[in-house]
Amino acid sequence: MTRHAELPLESYRLAQYSVQVPCYICEEGNTFDAEFCRYCYAPLALAHQANCQKIRPSMIATIGASGVGKTVYLGMLMDMLSRRTSRTQMLARGAFSITLQQTTIAALSKCEFPEKTANEPDRWNWVHSQVRSQEQRRATELIMPDMAGEAILEEMNHPFTYRVIRSLLSKSAGIIILVDASTIERGRGDQDYFTMKLLTYLSELDPGAKNGSRSRPVSIVFSKADMCTLSSADPEKFARERATGLWQHCRERFPKHRFFAAAVAGACGVREKFGIGEVQAPLRIEPRGIVEPFEWLLGQMK
Amino acid sequence: MNEKYAKWLNWGALAAIVVGFGVGALAGMPKLLGLGAVGLVLLAFRFRSWRPKVRPAETQTPAFTADPSASSSKKLPRAAAEISSDPTNPQALVEQMLSQGRYALLLRSQIIGNLSPDQLAETRESLESNSSFVPEGEVVLGPVDDALVDGKLEDHEILTCRAAVVRVEPYFLDRFPITNREFYEFVAAGGYEELPIWEKEIWPAMVEFVDETGQPGPRYWREGHYPLGEENFPVIGINWFEASAYARWVGKRLPTDAEWVKSGAWPVALTRTARFQRKYPWGNTMQASRANLWGSGPGRTVAVDATPGGVSVGGVHQLIGNVWEWTASRFVGQHDDDDGRWSPQNELRSVRGGAFDTYFETQATCQFQSGENPVHRRHNIGFRCAVALSDLAPEVTEYLTGAGEADLADDTYDDNAHDAAESTEKVNA
Repeated sequence: MTRHAELPLESYRLAQYSVQVPCYICEEGNTFDAEFCRYCYAPLALAHQANCQKIRPSMIATIGASGVGKTVYLGMLMDMLSRRTSRTQMLARGAFSITLQQTTIAALSKCEFPEKTANEPDRWNWVHSQVRSQEQRRATELIMPDMAGEAILEEMNHPFTYRVIRSLLSKSAGIIILVDASTIERGRGDQDYFTMKLLTYLSELDPGAKNGSRSRPVSIVFSKADMCTLSSADPEKFARERATGLWQHCRERFPKHRFFAAAVAGACGVREKFGIGEVQAPLRIEPRGIVEPFEWLLGQMK
Repeated sequence: MNEKYAKWLNWGALAAIVVGFGVGALAGMPKLLGLGAVGLVLLAFRFRSWRPKVRPAETQTPAFTADPSASSSKKLPRAAAEISSDPTNPQALVEQMLSQGRYALLLRSQIIGNLSPDQLAETRESLESNSSFVPEGEVVLGPVDDALVDGKLEDHEILTCRAAVVRVEPYFLDRFPITNREFYEFVAAGGYEELPIWEKEIWPAMVEFVDETGQPGPRYWREGHYPLGEENFPVIGINWFEASAYARWVGKRLPTDAEWVKSGAWPVALTRTARFQRKYPWGNTMQASRANLWGSGPGRTVAVDATPGGVSVGGVHQLIGNVWEWTASRFVGQHDDDDGRWSPQNELRSVRGGAFDTYFETQATCQFQSGENPVHRRHNIGFRCAVALSDLAPEVTEYLTGAGEADLADDTYDDNAHDAAESTEKVNA
């Protein structure tokens, strides 16, 4: 026995599928209802927002080795700028943009650092925000992802492993590089080498490299300055004396660069976590030097 | 120089230069050139003693970037130790010790007998005006902030939060954190050279306890002096050992954790199983105007009496905000839960109260404990001192009870205090 049923054709859906939505990061076409770009795994919400609000947000990449404090830095920066009423203010665009701030602040208020960022790009937190400052009349639209340090290293060692990183670094209008000051102070060179590698990679992707006009501003931030008083006293001198390779690379390859020191924790202690072992944990939260690198970068990007 | 006279001298000199050099050169008259030279000499004489004007205290740069010329010793008040006094004259010695803030030392049993009635009265007055008396009683220590929403703590809540009930003996706590001016007395009197008041294990490291110019003193001072205009600011850039040495020098000590919390939280036993305790010295809700914290202050330290709204029940100022305060206790942490605990290898000292750059209000409560390496000299850690009533001469106790100024025990707030104490002992057990 046969049964008759009415199935709506929904031809408008077919029409939507026929029009590709270009990813804002890698510019490859995607279906309109995809959550992430199928090529680079960046959230398509960025593209939808840009299209419907008719804006072209700039991008700032925050990069550094694994465990250097990228998530804490970005989360804290967002929270400080969204709580402030003077100078520079930041307003999140889209609910997804608040997740990073929320998870970071929730962990810090409990005297813990947030969990390590996963290597998979579809699990990264992306921030799309509007930044207003006293110096600029018009608000700046910004996209800032929180990328995993191990993924960045993998992409540097094996280019095109993480397409999203390559695309983002090529397009970024400004770069914030975080370097662990306490590791450098202890005399371990791995941070210096990692950052040199990063700077070389960045200079290859610099859009101005071909015509010799390297104008992309780079803020080099010595993180965890609470554990290294030398870096907070004079970051430039600290780089010159303790991270010579990094200092030399910056001078030669990035005419627009400046060194900063930043700390989120006032002091850190060791916590014994059952089943994990000893981990560093903040004893109290006293942000210092968080906003300055960002404000300098914004000023240079004008 | 008289201002009016100086003004005429300026104009006269300028006119002489213009007429002398201008007309002399144009008209070719060498005599007028001499007049110009005289004008130049006059101007040089006028500005011989010129000095840049010192900016008012409000616009001074922070301590760590202060202009070195600003901290000239000539502009600072002299320390009591610098004013010569006859060491054989007991009267002068007592006066000097009182002006140095060492009244607690004079009230010790060994010394009090040597004071004249007038001196004793003056010393007692110093104690009362500079210190707050905190009666004996119990205080809850631990992560009980969330349970303090209504200000009431039940015994079962104390158990759930893994907090501890600690009994505190009566003591006096400084009403204000130690200021630059007070610490300057210690530095000027040679406190950094008096080895007996320092912990023996720190003697080899004491050569590093110097200011920005290498003189003994707090880290952000210059040439042994605090920045001009900051005499009433809390002393910062001192480590735990320097704070302890100062406290010993004035005849006091650093407060214990329990003492510090008790003076701010001011606990009162309500029933046999419940007690009242404050989250902040002024109550249970954060009021930004009462404390200098990240979101509510100018982003730097302020004078110790700048936030009068934050005073505690007992009259202790600035327990919350402005600077963290060293305590005598070790850091144990308060987030010991099923996930883990703070390592005892940290070897940190407890600091309390939050500072001008403390970001979270939850980290600037009476209960919140943070830790710091005892040799670190931070930009936002100061201290205040305490002295136990039992350390002072019996005459002080008699005076206090006789004057009826304070009950030595706060258990009298509740008729069932005895029962409450018993139940607390059970909680402790």
